[in-house]
Amino acid sequence: MSLGDALSIAMAGLRANQASMSLVSSNVANAETPGYVRKTTDQVQTNTGSIGTGVNIVGVNRELDQYILAQLRTETSGASYASLKSSFLQQVQGIYGNPDGTGTLESSFNALTAAVQALSTSPDSASARIGVVNAAQAMASQLNSMSQGLQTLRGAAETGIKDSVGVANNLMKQIATINNQLQTNPLGGTSTDSATAALLDQRDQYVTQLSQLMDIRVTTNSANQVTVFTGSGVQLVGNEAATLTFDAQGTVTPNTTWNSNSALSSLGSIKVSYSNGGSIDLTDTLKSGKIAAYVELRDKTLVQAQTQLDQFAATMASALSDKTTTGTPTAAAAVPQGYDLNTANLLTGNTINLTYTDVASNTQRTLTIVRVDDPSVLPLPASTTANNKVIGIDFSGTSGTVAAQLNAALNGANLNFTSSGSTLSVRNTAGFTTIDAASTTVTQTGLTGNGVEVPLFTDNGKAYSGATTVAGAQITGLAQRLSINTALSADPSRLVVYNTAPQTPAGDSTRASFISQQLNNARFTYSPQTGVGSTGTPFTGTLLSYMQQITSQQGANAAAASQVADGQNVVLSTLQQKFTATSGVNIDEEMAHLLSLQNAYAANARVMSTVNDMYKTLMQAF
Amino acid sequence: MSIDGVSGRTSYIGSGILNLRSQLDTLTEQLASGKVSNTYAGQGAGRSLALGLRAQLNSYSAYADTATNVNTRISVANLSLQRLVAVTSSVKGAAVSAGSTLDNTGQTAGQKTASLGFFDSVDMLNAKAGDRYLFGGRATDAPPVASADQILNGSGTAIAGLKQVIAERLQADLGVNLNGRIGSAVPAAPASQSSVVVTEEELTPAPPAAAQPFGMKVSGVSTTIVGATVTQPATLPTTVPPTPAVPPAAKSMSIDLGTVIPQEGDTVKFTLQMPDGTSEDIVMTATTTAKTPMDANTFLIDPGNPQAVPPVAPSSAVTAANLNTALATSMKSLANGTMAAASAIQAGQNFFDQPPMRVGGGPAFNASTTLVAGTKADTVIWYTGESDTTAGQTDSARGTAVAQVDTGTTVQYGARANEQALRTELQNVAVFAAVTTKVSPTGTPPVTALNAGDKISALNQRIAQNLAVIPGTQSIQNIQADFAGAQASIKSTTDRQNQSKVISQSLLDSIEGVDNNEVATKILALQTALQASYQTTSDLYKMSLVKFL
Repeated sequence: MSLGDALSIAMAGLRANQASMSLVSSNVANAETPGYVRKTTDQVQTNTGSIGTGVNIVGVNRELDQYILAQLRTETSGASYASLKSSFLQQVQGIYGNPDGTGTLESSFNALTAAVQALSTSPDSASARIGVVNAAQAMASQLNSMSQGLQTLRGAAETGIKDSVGVANNLMKQIATINNQLQTNPLGGTSTDSATAALLDQRDQYVTQLSQLMDIRVTTNSANQVTVFTGSGVQLVGNEAATLTFDAQGTVTPNTTWNSNSALSSLGSIKVSYSNGGSIDLTDTLKSGKIAAYVELRDKTLVQAQTQLDQFAATMASALSDKTTTGTPTAAAAVPQGYDLNTANLLTGNTINLTYTDVASNTQRTLTIVRVDDPSVLPLPASTTANNKVIGIDFSGTSGTVAAQLNAALNGANLNFTSSGSTLSVRNTAGFTTIDAASTTVTQTGLTGNGVEVPLFTDNGKAYSGATTVAGAQITGLAQRLSINTALSADPSRLVVYNTAPQTPAGDSTRASFISQQLNNARFTYSPQTGVGSTGTPFTGTLLSYMQQITSQQGANAAAASQVADGQNVVLSTLQQKFTATSGVNIDEEMAHLLSLQNAYAANARVMSTVNDMYKTLMQAF
Repeated sequence: MSIDGVSGRTSYIGSGILNLRSQLDTLTEQLASGKVSNTYAGQGAGRSLALGLRAQLNSYSAYADTATNVNTRISVANLSLQRLVAVTSSVKGAAVSAGSTLDNTGQTAGQKTASLGFFDSVDMLNAKAGDRYLFGGRATDAPPVASADQILNGSGTAIAGLKQVIAERLQADLGVNLNGRIGSAVPAAPASQSSVVVTEEELTPAPPAAAQPFGMKVSGVSTTIVGATVTQPATLPTTVPPTPAVPPAAKSMSIDLGTVIPQEGDTVKFTLQMPDGTSEDIVMTATTTAKTPMDANTFLIDPGNPQAVPPVAPSSAVTAANLNTALATSMKSLANGTMAAASAIQAGQNFFDQPPMRVGGGPAFNASTTLVAGTKADTVIWYTGESDTTAGQTDSARGTAVAQVDTGTTVQYGARANEQALRTELQNVAVFAAVTTKVSPTGTPPVTALNAGDKISALNQRIAQNLAVIPGTQSIQNIQADFAGAQASIKSTTDRQNQSKVISQSLLDSIEGVDNNEVATKILALQTALQASYQTTSDLYKMSLVKFL
């Protein structure tokens, strides 16, 4: 019965048209739905007898380019990482202030040097003295508030990680749930029914969202289920979602740092735990995405910014308070020659400085002996180059005499130490070493009677001497604790009077000139840990030049981060555009499709009506 | 930035527009602030240089403040110095030209001028610029010089001023016998009876011990009498303490006529050293004309007695005795006249020393043989500024105020009222103003009109001499020259800084500033681009098949 065939074929055509229409309407409706992938009908011909061929819709196709999707995810991670980092560094720039404005490190420093200059011009003027006290106070406050700002940002990073971990857990659960739904789908995970397609759309959207948070790798199995790994290969989602945990710490200060050993860590760690009880620390393995940016900011970028401020504060404090005294050379006729040093007033962290020549190689070397009062912190972290050695020596008496420790520690250097009371003597070894110079550097704590050096700044009331104790290095967080010596703010005349017997005259500019000299012209060496200079050739320069270095470094970092973020966004936009071109809904195309469907429907209906006419003709013939 | 939420197409079109929009915002901000950015990040590669330039500009303005301050101080100090120079020259003029007419207070018109000049000088040395005293070295917070009235008259009864120190010194210089502690005699036999010996009253110990400082000292003797023998004062040989090889002896000089009878007009010259170190000569002239009394500084040659039988030949011994008598009168007159002036000059020197030296062992100072250091409890300390020695080192006065006017340039502009030139001025004017001379032939010491005249003219002469510029010693003009040098240095530094400042500022502007024209042009271009984007985006969304079905 070929007429019946034709009718049923036309019916099939109408059904197919209707299905296509519903897909068009669904495409148009979801044109702006995030994560929606354009669907097309999977239309096949069906054999309906000897001559005609029917049509059947067997499913829907997701117009998805897997390759672009994978790329899009990688770049999404990168772009989130770069944007977040840039936005934090812009906030750091906010802390560094408007270069032309007043709330900057340089403006405080300039105000201080100007006040000191005024004081050296008019040492007798009470207002000039108070001017210096106020400028110093402002300088300390500026460092305090910048440091506070940096720590607040670190705290925000800590909170940011916590939030992101929460979001990631939720996404991972959703992905696992969809994986399970696909498994239990009676039609199988690869089914092309529209419900499955919707699930897949949903899941891909979750995976993309997860890629914003961290760098992930995704594999899809034959049942269309995905397994999500971190960039370093730790599985996050399969049929089950792993749980990320993060023990956020409420207090973030310069002294709280993250350590891979959780016993030593005072900040939160991101761990992935599995239902079987195992857990892996992911904190420093994430390379991209928001979480990686947060971790990097919290543990590296902002820590370095803090270290730079600390170094600046420490150098400025020490420059004014440290007095270097040359040792007493032995009498001309004494054999062996050497120096006697008074170690009575050394504070923890103060140094004994030796310069000696190794006779055999005719090489000059320096040796810096650091006073330490707690043997448990020894040996000090290595910051030693071949010709410039730094060693810590326990002065508390629990490790034997200073001379004995020095002789033991410097066995190869052929230096000969003896001590008697608070006098440390060092002697040449004939034919091996010649001592060229010996001195002690001592942090002054009093305001008069010790020369022109003046402890203008203190570590929250205590002398800053660069001590290293069990609690850590004194320099850590100094910028946050730096304060003006309260004895000076109580009696600003001590900015001029450095001796009370005989009394320094009111117009004596010696101390003011010293302060000015130290702040403006004296050159210091800065720790390479601050990211300026290297261990081999540490940065040496004035306070101003160091400030130039750190300020411009931060500025350059922020500018670079912002450029990287812009670049990443361009890449991301391009990919999104590409993705939309292949997988997005094009309304024009859908409309054109609509027209042809309309025509096809009319044609099918026409066939039906013609078949109907033919049936009528047939019926009327009898 | 990327836009999440709606689909991709909307997102990237939107991103483009937002990007334009944010550029426009940035440019508008630049136009408003005139700065390229309000963060270090936005300043670009010049940010480090800009920071250095701002520090440099800051230091220029701090140096400019210093320069203004220091210039003012130097100008004030200079005015003081000018006035001191004027005082010096008017007092010197008065000393040279004014007569020796004493008024009822015992002073000449010249001394009155000096008195006014002294008060003025003290004021000048206590000059202030702002709150800062300029002539006290580093002690800038208190007047460096005591008040003029205190310096002259002392403070209360216990603390002596210059006038009292002068009076005490005069007593000590005159000695118990009111003769300047020096006497003449014809020695007793067996020494030659035809000799006259001038002897100091006190013993002079062997060096290094010093003789007592008061009174006149024998210095030399010479004569035109042919055949007479003069013996100069001998300096005792140096001995090693404690045992002097030669016992202390009173220093003396003598002339022995022997048997020679001087001729009319022959002279004997005795040179005596005054307390202030100057020398005065007493020239005794032999005469055959007997007078009663003899003219000053003449002695009668013994005529003998040719009429007597046998005729008595002229005696050298009698002549020597005549010489001795006349010399005694002359020496006493010298002591009460010229030496009194020299004593006042020396008292001034003692008073202006640090510490002031006073006659020891009084009151009744006429037998004193020591000078003792006065303390602020008994003597007005005229200079209370910073000492000119620190830890045994002589400390340059100019170096007591050092101003940094550039990174490597300092100027020195300190001054101390006890600098040589200033002290000399003040000391001599003060002494001139302090000395009073009253004729009182019956007083103690008796002062005759002759004595008074001698004293005034000796004083006038010494003051005029001391106030004259002596080559090789510091003068007030030297200090002014130092100040002028400092001001010139400040001026050239300031000029240079002003030029550098312009250069630094324009360099800084090129880093952190924006070119308004450029920004405005960019804004126009962006505005056009943005409008076009809005228009085309809107058109794009309108241009859908949906509209045409």
